[in-house]
Amino acid sequence: MKALFKLAVHSAWNRRFVLSLVVLSIALSTFLLLGIERIRADVRENFSQSVSGTDLIVGARTGAVQLLLYSVFRIGSATNNIRWSSVQSISQHKAVAWTVPISLGDTHRGFAVVGTSIGYFDHFRHGDQQPLILAQGQPFGSVFDAVLGADVAERLHYALGDRIVLSHGDGKMAANDHADKPFTVVGILRRTGTPVDRSVHIGLNGMEAIHLDWVAGAPLPGMAVPANQLNQYDLTPKRVTAVLVGLKNRAAVFSVQRSISEFQGEPLMAILPGVALDELWDVVGIGERALVAMSLLVALVSLAGLVAVITASLDQRRRELAILRALGAGPQQILWLLALEGTLVTLCGLLIGTGVCALTIFALGPLSGSHLGVTLRLQTLSSSEWALLGAVLASGMIASFVPGWRAYRLSLTDGLSPRI
Amino acid sequence: MNMRALLIGLIVTASVVLVGALTAGSAFVPALAQTVPSSFRVISWDALAPKDWDPLKQYRDSNVGLLMDGDPKLDQMMRDMRAAWDNAPTVSAMNGAAVKLAGYVVPLDEAKGGLKEFLLVPYFGACIHTPPPPANQIIHVISKNPVKGFRTMDTVWVSGTLSTRRQESMMGTSGYRMDAVIVDRYAPPSR
Amino acid sequence: MSTPAQAPLLSINALRFRWPKAGADCLAIDRFELQRGETAFLRGPSGCGKSTLLSLVAGVLTANRGSVRLLGHDWQELSSARRDRLRADHVGYIFQQFNLLGYLSVLDNVLLACRFSARRAGQAGDARQTAQRLLERVGLEAPDWRRRASDLSVGQQQRVAAARALIGRPDLVIADEPTSALDEVLRESFMDLLLQACAENGSALLFVSHDARLAPRFQRQLDLTLINQANADAGVSL
Repeated sequence: MKALFKLAVHSAWNRRFVLSLVVLSIALSTFLLLGIERIRADVRENFSQSVSGTDLIVGARTGAVQLLLYSVFRIGSATNNIRWSSVQSISQHKAVAWTVPISLGDTHRGFAVVGTSIGYFDHFRHGDQQPLILAQGQPFGSVFDAVLGADVAERLHYALGDRIVLSHGDGKMAANDHADKPFTVVGILRRTGTPVDRSVHIGLNGMEAIHLDWVAGAPLPGMAVPANQLNQYDLTPKRVTAVLVGLKNRAAVFSVQRSISEFQGEPLMAILPGVALDELWDVVGIGERALVAMSLLVALVSLAGLVAVITASLDQRRRELAILRALGAGPQQILWLLALEGTLVTLCGLLIGTGVCALTIFALGPLSGSHLGVTLRLQTLSSSEWALLGAVLASGMIASFVPGWRAYRLSLTDGLSPRI
Repeated sequence: MNMRALLIGLIVTASVVLVGALTAGSAFVPALAQTVPSSFRVISWDALAPKDWDPLKQYRDSNVGLLMDGDPKLDQMMRDMRAAWDNAPTVSAMNGAAVKLAGYVVPLDEAKGGLKEFLLVPYFGACIHTPPPPANQIIHVISKNPVKGFRTMDTVWVSGTLSTRRQESMMGTSGYRMDAVIVDRYAPPSR
Repeated sequence: MSTPAQAPLLSINALRFRWPKAGADCLAIDRFELQRGETAFLRGPSGCGKSTLLSLVAGVLTANRGSVRLLGHDWQELSSARRDRLRADHVGYIFQQFNLLGYLSVLDNVLLACRFSARRAGQAGDARQTAQRLLERVGLEAPDWRRRASDLSVGQQQRVAAARALIGRPDLVIADEPTSALDEVLRESFMDLLLQACAENGSALLFVSHDARLAPRFQRQLDLTLINQANADAGVSL
């Protein structure tokens, strides 16, 4: 067997130009398979780590996934807000331990602005019950204080004391800027690896202040309230986008959820973040499976190429096979020789593909984190990734038996004098 | 023929490699590979409610089935039931019991390695369309090791130690908590 | 006396062979024997079944009827694996051309014979050294040993083929027109070398060629058209 192995290696090396194309094709399909699997796993992990310790999220009655997406991930938008009176009713519910209202809709240079209460810094948890930690400064105290997420400060090069102007909506039109009421950076949060990093946090009163002279999303000309006159106004918010709720007893979550859905004041909805996330994966899962299926097809095509190349080369190698037979190699050994060659080529492709994938993750991981919000991390292969690699290798082994079988038949009929 | 046997043997080997690799990667592996010690007593959900607990006793005699939807009497009954269920008492004998029972998963907190805290409920859809279970039919499970591969409404066997909680809340004194040692997928027996 | 030591090395009896799709027998030989250490020259024009006969002698093809025995073993009675082993252990084969695996070095080509046969490896002792000495014997010096086989000239390749056929002292060396691709000078030196080496090893030599001028050097001279009773026109020509 060792003799066959050496022969297989030398023989394959001899035809390395053609075979290297096949190796590249297999490497590419491996790269695709592993890449998609890694992205899938990392996206899931990132999302599921984004919020922790929150029992319910309450918002206007829309859809569970939609509420989750915009309240936690700042994706999409709310179709409706909820009244402050509803928020107060919820806080007063016997089973509720804490509430953190959040108000969304504004942006600052592409980053979401989150209006929230001071309780956000106490109660919001992520990952494995990790609290938010301030890398610098302190939480907001006065109306125009802002606390930045790590990415915001890093990408825009902000430091404590800097002045920033928030915009209504996506911030593309300067007319929507709240230019008369700039905010001061008083705190910068430590990196969390969640959407918190990409958010600018201000107090609910600050959010109310910049919208005093706005009605239904548009500034009213001639009714601008200058910043120094704000203390005449009540800055309690009238409406918020959603409320994060923590309960005294986590097992009470169903009952509280039910009473919120039956709330008489306005149509409300309460979701369990974990359950809503599973629903999100159901939707996304369809796309994921399609991607994986595509990659497997690519792998199959590569293997078909492998079979074609090795089989096509057989005609030129009949002389070689006759020599081996004369030396005492049996037809089975010829079959094994060809099969070994195919397996070696597959293995090479797998190794190269895995290596390139690892390099790419290493190089692009941090970039993907800051630009796309999902950090790709270099890790040892997960069991599903091993499964994919195993599947490709096994398929390569089986596919290699096609030229192996052909060589076997050829050597039987040719004997020692092949018809060249 | 020798050749055929060899080929068959080889395809079988490659297939075993394939299947093995795929199985290892699937989510159908029990979350923890420990064997279950027989010290966990298998119980059913009935055991978690006191034998004499009957929150709808007063409605037993009236013909509830004859009431129409929207009937104020029905609404009142639903509200009473809700209140009774939310304050359902626990069975004190269960405190500290090492038990094993099956139910549906409602995930709470997912740590990096998997699910760490979840609620175990007796029937499907407890968070969606059906009325929430009584408080003595909900178990707040905290798993010793994070478990992978379970999502909302998966069925599992959970083995661990129960504890009852005394709470100052609208939940009264009810509330079961379990420190779970083993969480396994539950496969319903063929019917 | 009929002691095992004097039993014929190769013995063909009532052989009949036809190619699978042929209408008539390609080979029909009643009796042919080769003793140990005997050199035999088998002459015949192209297409009369020379290569087919050699394949049968080497056990690569099996007879339809009759027997071909090497060292007393009938090729047909052996399993496929044992046939390959018998061939690897006792037969050295030289083709007309393209004897070597072009992608291996000269030395590795010679050593191939030992890789497939433990017996010949054992007979050779230190295989590498034996191979090197054999190569020197056939006229290839040390610098050539590492070269890729495809880089050598035809004459050099044939000599390497001879070294490979001889290493490990096989009982039978089969040569299928090995000098057809060589010019006169090379041919003579090749023949000298081959016959000498076979004599030293005690190997029998079955030499097939259409060139009658080589015949006198051999102990026996045979004409295949006389031995073979099958109609040479029928069957698939080679």
